[in-house]
Formats: sequence, structure tokens, C-alpha cells
Amino acid sequence: MCIRLLCSCGWIDPLIACSVYRSITEMSKYLAQFQSIKSAADHIVIAVEDVSDVWPTVKRGFEERLPFKRACLNNKTRNLMFVEKLPAEFILTTDSRLRSRVPQEQLLFWFREPYATIVLVTCEDLDEFKTILKPRLKLILQNDDREWLIVFVSKAHPSNDQATKMAKKVYAKIEADFNSKKRERCYKLDLHGPEPSFWEDLESKIVESIRNTLDRRVQFYEDEMRKLSEQRCMPVWNFCNFFILKEILAFIFEIAHLYEDALREYDELELCYLETVNVTGKQREFGGIDHGDDQAALLNPANKALTQIVQDDSFREFDFRQYLFACQSKLLFKLNRPFEVASRGYSFIITFSKSLAQHENILPFCMREVWEITACLDLISVTSSHYNEGLAPLDIEKEFYRLLGDLYSLCRIKFMRLAYLIGYGSDIERSPVNSASLSMLPWPKPSVWPSVPPDASSEVLAKEKLILQEIPKVKSFGIQRKTLPLEPSVLLREANRRRASFSGANMLEMFDGSVSDASLRMSCSKKLQAIAMSRTNSSPGTFESSIDRPMRPAEIFVASEHALKSTISNPDLWKSLSSVEEFERKYLNLSKGAADNYHRSWWKRHGVVLDGEIAAIWFKHGNFDLAAKSYEKVCALYSGEGWQDLLAEVLPNLAECQKILDDKAGYLLSCVRLLSLDKGLFSTKERQAFQSEVISLAHSELKDPVPLDVSSLITFSGNPGSPLELCHGDPGTLSVTVWSGFPDDITLDSLSLTLTATYNADEGAKALKSSNATVLKPGKNSITVDLPPQKPGSYVLGALTGQIGLLRFRSHGFSKVGPADSDDFMSYEKPIRPILKVFNPRPLVDLTAAVSSPLLINEAQWVGIIVRPIDYSLKGAILHIDTGPGLMIEESHFIDMESYISVSESVPKLKNCHSNQKNSSLAVNKDFEQLHLDDGRIQLPDWASNVNSILWIPVRAINKSLARGSSSVTPPTQSIIDGMRTLALKLIFGISSNQTFERTIAVHFTDPFHVRTRVSYKGIDDTILLQVIIHSQVKASLTIYDAWLDLQDGFIHAGQGDGRPMSAFFPLVISPTSRAGLLFSICLEKTPTEVEVEAVRPESILNIQYGISGDRTVEAHPLLTSNSTGTEAAKNSSIFRSALVLERPVLDPSLAFGFLPLPSGDLRVGQLVNMQWTVERLKDLEDTESSQGKDEVLYELNANSDNWMIAGRKRGYISLPTKQGSKTVISILCVPLVAGYIRPPQLGLPDVNKANISCNPSEPHLIGVLPPAISSSFCIPASVGVLNIGCYCDVEPWLMYSGTLSSSL
Amino acid sequence: MIACVAVVGHQNNPLYIQSFTEADDALKLHHIVHCSLDVVDERVNNPKKSGPTLNETFLGLLYPTENYKVYGYLTNTKVKFIIVTTHLDVRDADFFRRFHAAYVDAVSNPFHVPGKKITSTTFAERVSTIVKSFGLSSAG
Repeated sequence: MCIRLLCSCGWIDPLIACSVYRSITEMSKYLAQFQSIKSAADHIVIAVEDVSDVWPTVKRGFEERLPFKRACLNNKTRNLMFVEKLPAEFILTTDSRLRSRVPQEQLLFWFREPYATIVLVTCEDLDEFKTILKPRLKLILQNDDREWLIVFVSKAHPSNDQATKMAKKVYAKIEADFNSKKRERCYKLDLHGPEPSFWEDLESKIVESIRNTLDRRVQFYEDEMRKLSEQRCMPVWNFCNFFILKEILAFIFEIAHLYEDALREYDELELCYLETVNVTGKQREFGGIDHGDDQAALLNPANKALTQIVQDDSFREFDFRQYLFACQSKLLFKLNRPFEVASRGYSFIITFSKSLAQHENILPFCMREVWEITACLDLISVTSSHYNEGLAPLDIEKEFYRLLGDLYSLCRIKFMRLAYLIGYGSDIERSPVNSASLSMLPWPKPSVWPSVPPDASSEVLAKEKLILQEIPKVKSFGIQRKTLPLEPSVLLREANRRRASFSGANMLEMFDGSVSDASLRMSCSKKLQAIAMSRTNSSPGTFESSIDRPMRPAEIFVASEHALKSTISNPDLWKSLSSVEEFERKYLNLSKGAADNYHRSWWKRHGVVLDGEIAAIWFKHGNFDLAAKSYEKVCALYSGEGWQDLLAEVLPNLAECQKILDDKAGYLLSCVRLLSLDKGLFSTKERQAFQSEVISLAHSELKDPVPLDVSSLITFSGNPGSPLELCHGDPGTLSVTVWSGFPDDITLDSLSLTLTATYNADEGAKALKSSNATVLKPGKNSITVDLPPQKPGSYVLGALTGQIGLLRFRSHGFSKVGPADSDDFMSYEKPIRPILKVFNPRPLVDLTAAVSSPLLINEAQWVGIIVRPIDYSLKGAILHIDTGPGLMIEESHFIDMESYISVSESVPKLKNCHSNQKNSSLAVNKDFEQLHLDDGRIQLPDWASNVNSILWIPVRAINKSLARGSSSVTPPTQSIIDGMRTLALKLIFGISSNQTFERTIAVHFTDPFHVRTRVSYKGIDDTILLQVIIHSQVKASLTIYDAWLDLQDGFIHAGQGDGRPMSAFFPLVISPTSRAGLLFSICLEKTPTEVEVEAVRPESILNIQYGISGDRTVEAHPLLTSNSTGTEAAKNSSIFRSALVLERPVLDPSLAFGFLPLPSGDLRVGQLVNMQWTVERLKDLEDTESSQGKDEVLYELNANSDNWMIAGRKRGYISLPTKQGSKTVISILCVPLVAGYIRPPQLGLPDVNKANISCNPSEPHLIGVLPPAISSSFCIPASVGVLNIGCYCDVEPWLMYSGTLSSSL
Repeated sequence: MIACVAVVGHQNNPLYIQSFTEADDALKLHHIVHCSLDVVDERVNNPKKSGPTLNETFLGLLYPTENYKVYGYLTNTKVKFIIVTTHLDVRDADFFRRFHAAYVDAVSNPFHVPGKKITSTTFAERVSTIVKSFGLSSAG
């Protein structure tokens, strides 16, 4: 195939080609040479044809251009690629490296031929050029397929015009002869000052030449390859040829720095190889049995010569695949992709390991494991040395570390396996991670299990001794656990079976015929021990004819050790297996490597779990501090995600560390965590051990209080059902269910619960304390706590805190139903179910007066107070009664209390009631009790705690003043306020007398009657009939038994009367709010009054003896002393006294004045009106001695200035002749100021005794005033009005109006 | 054969884990399942990697080691189903679909507390039936 090319290139004679072809078919001969050339040539060669011996002078200039920068080359898919630095070498054609190659060599290794030829010429004479140089050049360049360039070196100095001219001429000639239209191939180099762009041009032309050559060569090889591929299924096909072609192609790309393409070639080569390998039928040698093969060579392509790999036209898989991988990784490193090396490497190791497993029977003992260990370590060291941290994207970086972790991890597993075979199994931690990796990893399957070398009896004895001395590990707290297996099956059986199959005897039967599956599952180490012991006891030291007899464990170990020693060629690896200490060192290194790398990757769990393995080693070596730290990480991982089974495995170790380190708090926490794990994970005994540790620590060993979260161990919840409901301010008792996870009873020194208000988180939790020590049984406990008064709102349980000795625990654990599964990691939503509701303040009780109608004043009366509990018990309530001024409690009487149903409530009942209750607005129940007032307090009876009740309190309102009657002279002045009395009530109630209710009740008292008098008739003989009108002022009906009048001075009863009324229809019944009249006949006392200086009686007194018949539930009622029934009502009557003022009538009028009627027409506001009074003398003034000839009378006008404006003099003298009948008119201008019925101004004569004046009308009267007529003059613009008002503010109303008046006048 | 099946909650807490090995070594299977969560996490957290299978519940082979294989399945509620097999390839999600259906039935039980371990014996029986049938069908 290559021959055609070589022929066309003109390098070889076509005649030779036939023999060459034959030689190529045996190309495998040249593999060694090929490999050496390949390792030597690592750059592109450019030939220099130094025709005119100028190379030494220009060499420096040329070599300065190397390596070519940003060389533009085509890759395999003919895409332009820029190679940053393309190394190349200029070699003279006369150089031995180009000269010495024999044609056959050239033929195979022509890829190292120059990529371009540079012809260096110089000539100073045109003739010389024509005759000598040109033919020579033609000869050199006759083959057009070579890439060539002519560099004409001009030695002419620029100052030498002649020489320069000549050089130019020669160069022009060369250009004309050798430049084609397509391509410029001639360059002129002036030794004395070359053109600035010369080197750039030349470099680009050289690169172009290289590119062309490369393209051509690649094209050719590809064509050949295609042809070869077409023959793939034919017997002629030879993988070796294919390999060499591919390899050459890859190499071409590699030296052109097109690594991607080179890599692709190798990938294709590998694929193709794997296909041929998998073709069944063709038995090939696998390889791997040479010395040193146990050390992986997957990163060293030159590990073995290709000739060693190829054997009889076939490639040994063991070596060749490693070679291919090594080539690939070399390119990948050149491409700066260490990650890919690691990634490919890991899967290569896995798949290659499978191949090794297939050929395990021909390989040395444990060759596979050893190879994997060395491969992983190689890969780790090489990739990590090539890897620059931080350059790759984050996810690639993480992935890279994950791969390193995987590699370490794989290496670690295999290393453990080897160690186990040697007998270090007891030093390997039987942890889940080790068990998972080792117990599922099959034993090595050598064709024959190695047997004990004859001279190893002492070693066997030593091993046996070790096995016997081995103390089974005791876990802390006496935890009994089944150890996890590290072996896929019992090694003893496996090893002996492999021997047995070889020797043909069925060893199993003689060894242990009745081994059941169950017993096989037993912990292996124990079994090994048992067997070992039985063996040593029965026949100590007899292992000579081991082929007939199953091997003992110690023998297996020794045999494996010897076999491994011969397998392992790496002294370091063997050293690390030579002793337990070395093993542990290596094991720790590998574990650390794996853990560290996993920590830098996404796989945190892997890392943490391996930390646990490292911790185990540290623990073993007494480095408890580090061990505890690592164990803590592992525990945090497991507990954080709730993997309790795994946690239960590690946590005791952590506890042990903490115990040794004297970390009391940590140890306590670990014990509590152990207790809070699932109950099924530890036996009761173990759990009891944990508890006793906790208690002994808490009570004795701790120095300072230790806070601890026991949320998973002690959980609590409110009682099911509706929450406890409390009124504002009430204390209560809260009942809470607490689940204890302790295996035994535990005494809590104190216990408190926090309540959290749901409405307001800022409020903070409130702690409720359980008073004394609590003993929690395992499981459910009910606990009650006192609840002080809380603010209104609803509350949920916050946390439970308490103390056991010096251990302060705290639990947030809520149990939903029953004990939680103690998943301390789960953040359940807190139950929002409130446990306590405290209502907003609301009226809990109401105290009201039972009767609103007035009661009798100055008499003992019942005041009813209705006590109405509003959904709240008044049990034990105390009522404080404080009377206001003018009111006192009749302490001689008991206080009545009876139940009470208000009208609205009692309506249905009333229908069935008797008629005697028909009128009653209060239905009185039969509950009745008499209470005693003690120091102003009453204890309410229990029966009244939940029902409405009424309290009857005997009181007496005191009013010292006498009731006054009214008449036309003395209008009634008594106001309702006078009869008001207050009763301050304070009710103290509630569960712990914490609630109070205060109210002041007003009670209205009144006299039974109001009396008015009126003179109904005045006889000539001064006899006056005095009518006394009695108004009943109470709701009850009153009965008058008697009445008499004690007259004041100046009046006497007419006709020797005793002061009784003229007509006596007693008893006289007055129904509520009605009136009755009494008529008294009196006359004026004739005797001169002046004599009796001392006025004994200024007023008359009306005495009324009366009785009352009323119900206390409604109205004023009979007096307390009365029984109010029967005939002797009169006895129970009381006497009412009312003062009356009688005035002597006008006896001697000397002056009379009358109000003259107003002019007709409406009287309006603001309208001027002339008021006139006439004054007339009725008697001559001469008759009276007192008058001293006065003919003037003083008048005075009284008017309400709010209603009237007076124009003129209000007070003054008017002349009135002293003669009888003289008359004068007083006329005053007035303006009414308000509309409505108003009292007109009144005229008075201050100088004249009232008794001497007769006036008309005799009594005050009213006149009507209309509102002002609508008039424009009153419409004042707003602004002006404001202004005016402002102006008028300081002016007297009089002035203001006078102005207005004058204008209207 | 299937060595172990597990249901892992969305907080990576074990909800159900059952081993089908004869040996008393469930703990190592706990470890395998737990560590395989690393891979599930990695796939879930790196959507780039999962690529087109983003919406696929079947996560495929999580954890190829020399000796056992771990397969995963992720529900929409981030509950993970994980099986550990030895010498058995799980090519499709059929097994997981049946497993998922059984899980849905189990957690639909009103007495089941979500997020808590599945203690239903019916579920356990159903799962072991599925495991057996699958082991048989694929073995044959």
C-alpha cells in the first residue's frame, strides 16, 4: 500500500516495490524500530538543500523562527486549526539523519521525512546561473510532489550598486524560471538588511508547505485505511497492518500537534482491537504473566516494547490495551484534560479488571487485585499532578475529585482484600461500608489455591498464635451486635474447595458435611477461630501432607502471603502488606485520600462515611480527639437524615470516645441520643445501661449544669379534645401528656412547660412549673401543672424543660398520637391545636337594681339587687356593700336572697303559674335564704353560684329636711336628685377570688306625697277654704288613714276645729300617681300679731297618717316592720309631714296697677313695642300716717335682658297725686329679642308694701312674640356680617340695637 | 437477584428498607442505599448532566460497582426508590412503576403519617411479591 505512494513520491524504484510489499506484510518485524523512531522524532523536519553553501550564514535567521507561531494546519476533517507552537527542525539534506536511511526503512518510516525542502542558492553572475545553477536546481526540483521553496541569498552590499543590480537580475531570472502562475516559490534574502516582511512571508510559505504535505499524507493513509477496512472480513486482513497505519496516522497528527485527531485515531484503534479480541474462536495469549506485569502500565506507553506485545501476529490483550490507554492518556495530558484521563481511567480499570477476572486462572494469585491497586495509585498520582486546581469549571472539578475518590476507594477495597487474605482480617473494621464492599466481592479464583510452602511451619504457628491471642472487640455499654461479614463466603471453604477440585477429593464432606446455610452465616471470624482451635487441639503441628487435608486458616493465610509475595513486584506495595502496622498506615492513607476527595466532590456522604473508618483507626490508636470529631460528623450525617440503623452502629463509638475524653456533656448527649433511637435497635438491657449512665452523670459526675435537647426522647402533647378554656384572669390547671422514651422510671427534679401565644410570637413563651419532682414511667404519663392567669388568647405548648440532677433538658418534641417514632430530625409542623384558650375580658356577672320606681324616703325599705352570673360560677363570691351618703343599711334585719328569673325567661313558666303572680314582673323561685351582713360583706350561698338571684337589702334613706308643699306662691322646688341615693357594690368572685366586679347602683327615694295648696274660697268673714291636693309619688297605692293641719301663726282653724279636714272619708285610698284633695277651713287670726314676738311656727304642717300596700319587687312597699297584711293596717301606718306656707291675703290695697293690652297686631322680634301700665291710687294717701305728702311713686321695671331690650328708664319716679283716684300711665318702649312665649317685663313698686298693691293680671303671664319678618335689612353679606360681628363684639347690646332701631324708625 | 429495596423520603430519610439477602447483613445494604443518595442528589442538582432524562422518573443505574448495582427512581414528590441488585440489570422502569404503585397505595392509608416510616405489612408483602416475580422473570 505504501509502495504506491513511495513510488509516486519518487523515493523508491517501482521494482523494489514488490519486495517492499512483502516486507510490509511482515511489518511486525519493524515494530521495535518503529517504536524507537517514534520515541525519537517528536517534531516536523524541514530539509535544507544548501546548493551554494550559504546555510551557515543564514542558519541563525531561520532557526530564530522556530517553533512556528500560530501555524495554520488542516485537521482530519479538513478544518483549519491553529497550532499555537509548532516545533520543527531544519536539517540539511547532507545530514546523516536524512542520508543514512535505507530505502526499506524509509518506506516504513517515511512519515519522518521532511515536510518541505528549502533550496538555498546564491549567484552573482548570470552566466554562472544559466550554466551551472539552473540545471542543478532543475535536477533537485524535478519531482513536483515535494514541497519546495527557493531562497535566493543575496550577498550584495546595498552600497555596491553593481553587485545589487546583478543580484536582482539573477533573482529575476530565478523567479521567471521557477515561479509558476499558481504559486510563488522564490524568495530573496538580502544578507545586508532583508526586507521587513521577508521572514513572515517565508514562515507562512513554509507552514503552507507543511500543510500541503500533511494533507497529502493524511489523505493517502486514509485511503489506504479504507482499503484495508474493506478487506476486514477477509483472511488476508491483518490487524498488525491496521495498527501500524493507524499508529502512523496518529503519530503524524501528534507531531503536527493535532492531538484531537491523534486521540481519535487511538480511539478507533481501540474499538477495532476490542472487536477483534472479542471474535471467538481465535485463541490468543492474554499476557500478564511476565514479571512486573502486576504493576499497571496504563500510563506508560513505553513500558514494554511493541515487539513484546505482538506475538505471532496477535497482540496480547493485557499489554496492548494498557499500551493503547497509555497513548490515549498521553495525548489527553497534552490536551490538558487530566479529568478525562481519570474518567477514562476509572472505567478502563473496571473493564480491564473484568478481563483479568476472565483470565484469572492463568494469572498469578491475586494478580487482578494487585494490578487494580497499582493502576488506581498510578492514575491518582499522575492525574492529580497534571490537574491544576480551579481552572476547570466547578462541576468538572467536583466530578474529578469524585473520580479520585472512587479510585482511592477501589484501591482501598482491593487492598483490604489482600490484607484479609494474609490474615489481617481482624484488624479491619467490620463496618457497614467495609462489609458492603468486601462481602459482595468474590474471592480470587486462582486455578489452584496456593498451598503452604514446605518451610513455613514456623510462620503457620506464629499466625495461629496471633489468631488465638486475638481478643474479640467489646463494644461500649456491653452492646451485643452481630458482626457484619467481610467475606463473600467462608474463606476456609473457598480455599479448600479450590484445592479439593485440584486434588480431586471432596474436601467439603470430610471437613464439615453438615454445614447448614444458617451456620454459614455465622460470623466468620468466630468460626475460623473455633475450627482453628479444634484443629490445634486435636493434632497440633501436623501439616506435612497438606494436599490431602484441608488447610487451616493460619495455613491459608501463610500460603496466601507467600503467593502474594511472588505476585507483587512492587516493593512498596509489598512493604505495606508486610506487617499490621504497615497495613494500617497504608489503609489510613487510602481512606483519607478517598474521604478527602469525596469531600471535595458532590458525594459528601461517601466522604463522611469514610471519615468514620478513619475514626476507627484513630480510636484504635488512642487518638480519641480526632476519632471523636470524625465520629461526630458521621453521627450528624446519619441522624440528620434519620438513618437510625446506621447511627446505632456509630453512636456507641462516639460515646466511648467522649467518655474517654471526659467530655461529660457530649457523653451525656450521646447517651440520650442512644436512648432516643428506635427501641428495636437496642435491647432493653442496653437501653437500661444508657439510662443508668445518664442518671449517674446527671446526679454526680457533672460539675456544671448541662443543657440538653431531649426532643426525641421526651415528647409531649396536650390532652385530646377541646382545649382548656379560661376566662381572663383566671388561673387553672393544665393537664399534659408526656411520653418518656426511657426504658425505666425516671425522676425529674423539676419540670416546666412553656406556653406560646399563637396570636403573638413576640410575647415570648411563658413557663409553667410543675411544683415537685415528677416520676416519668416509660411510655405515657399524665402531668398536671398549675396555670397562673394568662393574657387573653389561645396558647400552644412550646417546649418542655426540666432538670435531672445537673442535666437541664429541653424538649420540643410533639407527639401526634402516642409516642413518636423518635425521628429527631423530622421537623414536623408543630400542632397548631391550641391547648389553652383564654377569653378576652368580658362581663362575667351583672349587678342591677331590681326596682326602678322610687322607694319611700326616711322609711326602712328593701332595695333589690339582681345578681346575674354570665356563664360563670360565682361560687364563694363575696359582695361588699357600701352605702352612699344619706343611706344606711338596717342592720337589724337579715338580708334576703332568693333566686330570680327575669320576665323574659319566665314567660313560659308564667303561663302555668297561678294568678296571684300575674301582676308580678318577677317570678320568684323557691330558693330562699336569709343572709347576715358582716362588716359590709355578704357571702353568697353556693346555690346562687350559677343562677340569677336577687338580694334584698334593708335600707333607709335619710332626709332631714321636711317635705314642702307647693302653691301658687311657692312653686315646687324639689328635684329628683334630692331623692337619689347610691349603693356601691363590689363583688369578689372567681376560682381564687381573682375577679372583681364593681358597680354603684342609684336608688331613687321619694316622699309618698307631694302636697299643693290652693285657696278655693275666701269668705267675707275671713274664712278661707284651703284645698290641699295630695299627689301620690309612688307606684304603690297609698291609704290615708288620717290627716291634720298644724297651722302657722296668723291662722287658726275655723270653728274650733282640730285641724282635720272638713270632710273625713278616711281611710282614703290613693292609687298610684293619682291625686286626692282635702279641704280645710281656716281663718285669719284676729289677735294682733305684733305682740307675739317669737315666731314659733313660720309654716303650717300637714300631717298625713298613711299606709302603703306595695310589692317590694316592683315598687315602694310597706315598711320593714309591717306584715302588710290584714286589718291592722293602720297600726303600721306612718306619718308624713309636709310644710305648707300660707300667706295672708292682700288686705289693704292702696295702689293698683294694670298692664294695658298691647296694641293690636303681631308682636315680632326686633319690632318696637310700647308697653304701658296704669297706676291708680285707690285710697287717699292722707289717711295713712306714714305717707308724708309724697306725690311720687318709685317704679322699677324687671325684664329678662335676654328676651327684652328696654328703651328708656327702667327705674324712676313718676308723679302720682295723693288724691284717691289719681291715675298715671307708665309707658316704656321695648323690643323683644326672641320669638316664642316669653314673660313680658314686669313693673314693680318697690316703695309700696306688697300687701297694699293690687295688680292685674295678678299672676305672671306670657305673651307671644313672632319671629322677625323676612326683611332685606337683615340680610347681611357674609363678609360684612363677620366684620360687623367683630365690630360689635365690644359694644353693649343696647347700643347696637338702638342704632338699628333709629334707622327703622 | 434483588438484594434490597428501599423507599427514601424527600428529606433523604429512610421510609422503608427491606433486604432480601439470606445473611444477616442488612446494615451494609442500609449503607449502600444511603450512599447512593449522593448520586441521586448529584443528578438532581446537576440538571445539565441528566439532560434529556430530566423528566424521567427512572434514574437508571446509579452506582455501578464491581459487585452490585444500584438503580434509582425519583418521584415527583422527591421520594426515591432504590434497589440494590447483584448480577441483575434493570433496563426499564417497570419494576419501579409497580413499586411506586404499591407505595402510593400504602401512603394513601389514612392512618399513615406522611414522612414516617411505612409499617404496613400489606405493603411489605406486596413489595416482596414484586421482588420475587421480578427476580424470577428476569432470571428466566
